[in-house]
Amino acid sequence: MPLLETIGVKVRFGGNIALDDVSISVEAGSVTGLIGPNGAGKTTLFNTITGLQPLTGGQIIFNDKDVTKEPPHKRTRMGLARTFQRLELFTTLSVRDNVRVAGEIRNRWSLRTPKMDVNAETDRIISLVGLNDVVDREVGEIPTGKARVVELARALMIQPTLVLLDEPASGQTEEETEQFGKLLRDLAGEGLGICLVEHDMALVMQVCETIHVLDFGRMIASGSAESVRNNPTVIDAYLGAPESVG
Amino acid sequence: MQTFLQYTILGLALGGAYFIAASGLVVTYTTSGIFNFAQGAIAMLAVFTYWQFRWGWGWPAPLALLMVLGILAPLLGAVLYQVVMKNLRGTSEVTKIIVSIGVMLGLQALATWVWSPTSSTPRQFQKFLGPKAFAHFGSLTVPWHIIISFIIAIAIAFGIRFLFVRTRSGVAMRAVVDDPELLQLNGGRPERLAMISWAGGSFLAALAGILIQPMIGSAMSAGALTLLVIDAFAAAMFGRLRSLPRTFMGALIIGLTTTYVVAYFPSKWTWSSSFRNSLPMIFLFIILLVLPQDRLRGATVLRLRERFRMPSIRTAWIAGLTMMIVVFCLKVIMAKTGVNTLTLALTFAIIALSLVLLTGFAGEINLAALSFGAIAVMVVYHFGVSGTGTAARTTLWGILLAAVVTALVGALIALPALRLRGLYLALATMAFGVFVSRMVLTERTEREIFGLKFTLFTAGQLAIPRPKIGPIDFNGQDAFLFLCAGLFVAIGIGMVYLRHSGYGRRLTAMKDSPAASATLGMSVVRLKLSIFMMSAAIAGIGGVMMAAQIGTVNADRFDIFLSLALMMITVVGGIGYVSGALFAGIFLIAFIEALNLLLKKFALDYSTLEAIFMFFVSAVTVLPATIGITMGKNPSGAVSDIAEGMNLVKQSKPLMITVLGLEAAIWALTATEVITNWNFVILTLANLILVPLVGGKFLMARAMRGVPKPVPPELIGIDRPFTDEDLAAMDHALNLESIVIPSSTTVREEPANASA
Repeated sequence: MPLLETIGVKVRFGGNIALDDVSISVEAGSVTGLIGPNGAGKTTLFNTITGLQPLTGGQIIFNDKDVTKEPPHKRTRMGLARTFQRLELFTTLSVRDNVRVAGEIRNRWSLRTPKMDVNAETDRIISLVGLNDVVDREVGEIPTGKARVVELARALMIQPTLVLLDEPASGQTEEETEQFGKLLRDLAGEGLGICLVEHDMALVMQVCETIHVLDFGRMIASGSAESVRNNPTVIDAYLGAPESVG
Repeated sequence: MQTFLQYTILGLALGGAYFIAASGLVVTYTTSGIFNFAQGAIAMLAVFTYWQFRWGWGWPAPLALLMVLGILAPLLGAVLYQVVMKNLRGTSEVTKIIVSIGVMLGLQALATWVWSPTSSTPRQFQKFLGPKAFAHFGSLTVPWHIIISFIIAIAIAFGIRFLFVRTRSGVAMRAVVDDPELLQLNGGRPERLAMISWAGGSFLAALAGILIQPMIGSAMSAGALTLLVIDAFAAAMFGRLRSLPRTFMGALIIGLTTTYVVAYFPSKWTWSSSFRNSLPMIFLFIILLVLPQDRLRGATVLRLRERFRMPSIRTAWIAGLTMMIVVFCLKVIMAKTGVNTLTLALTFAIIALSLVLLTGFAGEINLAALSFGAIAVMVVYHFGVSGTGTAARTTLWGILLAAVVTALVGALIALPALRLRGLYLALATMAFGVFVSRMVLTERTEREIFGLKFTLFTAGQLAIPRPKIGPIDFNGQDAFLFLCAGLFVAIGIGMVYLRHSGYGRRLTAMKDSPAASATLGMSVVRLKLSIFMMSAAIAGIGGVMMAAQIGTVNADRFDIFLSLALMMITVVGGIGYVSGALFAGIFLIAFIEALNLLLKKFALDYSTLEAIFMFFVSAVTVLPATIGITMGKNPSGAVSDIAEGMNLVKQSKPLMITVLGLEAAIWALTATEVITNWNFVILTLANLILVPLVGGKFLMARAMRGVPKPVPPELIGIDRPFTDEDLAAMDHALNLESIVIPSSTTVREEPANASA
């Protein structure tokens, strides 16, 4: 049973069909890639999964429950976290407080939520993702690559079972990306489900077991990294000529 | 039947006029994204100008109409957009609201200045074709003015619809809001279109004003007229600021119900006229309640221009202590009237603290702070006073009860805010404020509900004594001054503690990114409710203190325009800071008062220049609004500028010693009555502003001598090689940070292929 399943998801903006009959699944303990050209609907799909974007049709199943009608915060409380492509950091807080407040929000989910030691967990997550050097700076001052890692750290603070990462590696240096790939594999190794939207194909091919490809709101391919890489439709729509694949 | 028809026609015409005003709001909002709070004030100004031309100078009606509607009103709208509103792109909702409120207050002050409300001859405003022009339909007699109004409304409705749907510029106007940059790429000129729409909106406001004034038939008053057109807000909300047909419907419903209330409510219901006046606001509130929930959107602007740094707890304690010492020193040298003014300023500062908490910390907006004060004052008057005559004192329990009641009322008002954000909450609070002014504070007759007899606002004024808390009697002026200062400091320090707590961080998270907060599992209901209640309670306590300082308060003390001015000046001071609230209180009460007195004193002393000084006295009434309007240029507020200046002083020991030493000397001279209080004020200002400025320049120049000059950007790469920081800075400036730079190991993204 997959951790997350979208069944025939459809989203329409006026006359524009942003998502048309998209069905993907994400397993626990694995990294699933979601790729496609800009405007293919990847972020829109994330928005529907987290509840920020209402559906025109279809279903979202998370943890065996139909969450299609649930508000965003209820879905999160079931273990779903995400990062944003257009950064949604708390711009007036420091890096540490951005991460810490996520734990504080989590401790307030309900009276029954087992409370975590926020300060200890903050320190753990910050060194896990490698933010120690910028921890006391304002999030507005740090480079975008680092800011994306802050988003990941914040998502991890709520101890999710699934995280949706929206272009987490853009703005990172090659070295940082390599570190980042290792981190994702480690997290998946601990049982976390990860869904990754990314344009850096080297990273995607390196970390993802399964890849779904979107183009103009439609699923054009789905399968293992190897099969997607050699799929002619995908090459035509997105990857470009095979020789340029690194 | 006769009555029904008569009132239906009247209601339709009134609704038609509301629609014209509301359509102006919709037009400007859809093209510039700014909700024009000044719509009512523009209408008011147009009515006064038209009166001046038509009856003041006796021009023929067509010429006066052409002048006002054809030239002046559109010109005002265009100038407003060019000079003020254009600068507001990329600022927060709060700044947008405040600036248009500034325009509203400015126009109002201007009108009161030019057309003095105490003029001996009442200004009469007549219907079109004169007061005796009636049309006869069988047994029905209808003024031509009413018929003309309704026809114009329908013509405007079809005209705008045609403009937006069928004409090129109309379609382009709608495109401006959706994506001004895309429109620009496609050859459109968003700035020009927005300017034209502001001219049009202003024209519609003016037209609505000229149509409505004679229907109401009362004497012309700047405040009443401004609020009258604000009733059109409800109609605009009915169409969700988008749909013109629904706006039209909403306007007709409001017009009809208000006239039916006049027609059919039994005349023994003494409250029906207040009810009629409050109806549009009640409508507005209900519409806001049932509006569907906003979608949570990501931040629409990447980075707001406003920046607020929270002081540390240690800084807060030092500042609080300093303030108490300063207040003590001032008390020693000040005259009794000065102490009174300072105390009143501090009570306003306490009310402003409620705004800092709500807007600065949580990003929500309350435009009716003083109305909460009014509720608290009524509670204290009825339940919180012990003793009579000169022995009467407000009890601690009375103040606490008032705080609890205002908190509960706050919760009730915040209901719409739980689902809506920004502008909509601002409107809900404004509806509440106007409702309190029109319906609650006018309650002067005794009512009986379930055998309980009571009068809400007894005799139009309530006497609130000074408090006595435990064994300490704060009846004396000095004791009360220290109570207010202490209260301000205590609440202020409490707020800094709050901001540094988990609760404060969660508030900040909610303010900075509602979308991210939701996807972290935050449910905003309790958080928003609690902060609104806390803020309302502080406003209540401040209101009670204000009333206790004045002694006897009437309804004017809680006027909605005063609430708006306080909010505006707090934003000017710096809505994110406790000191911003202090700035607001001091500026709005003490500074304006002092300036007024000073100018009047000069006018007396130099009688040859009296006219000039009296001109400035009038100009001072426009001053706060003028400062509010400039917010577009400096959205972080004045306090942050002052703090920057103070930082210089803090960093340099010699400078600090100079400033403190000079200040002590000035104070000592005043205390020993060598120099007057006025000179004290002037010298203090000079000491605090000029010395850091000059000293800072001097220090800077000395410090700069050893440091190499920075290379100008265009010479980087020529005078010295590029560094990583340069590249990062350039990427940042060009907004390229999120774009992947293709390298040999990454796959090139090919958008050309993608769209093939």
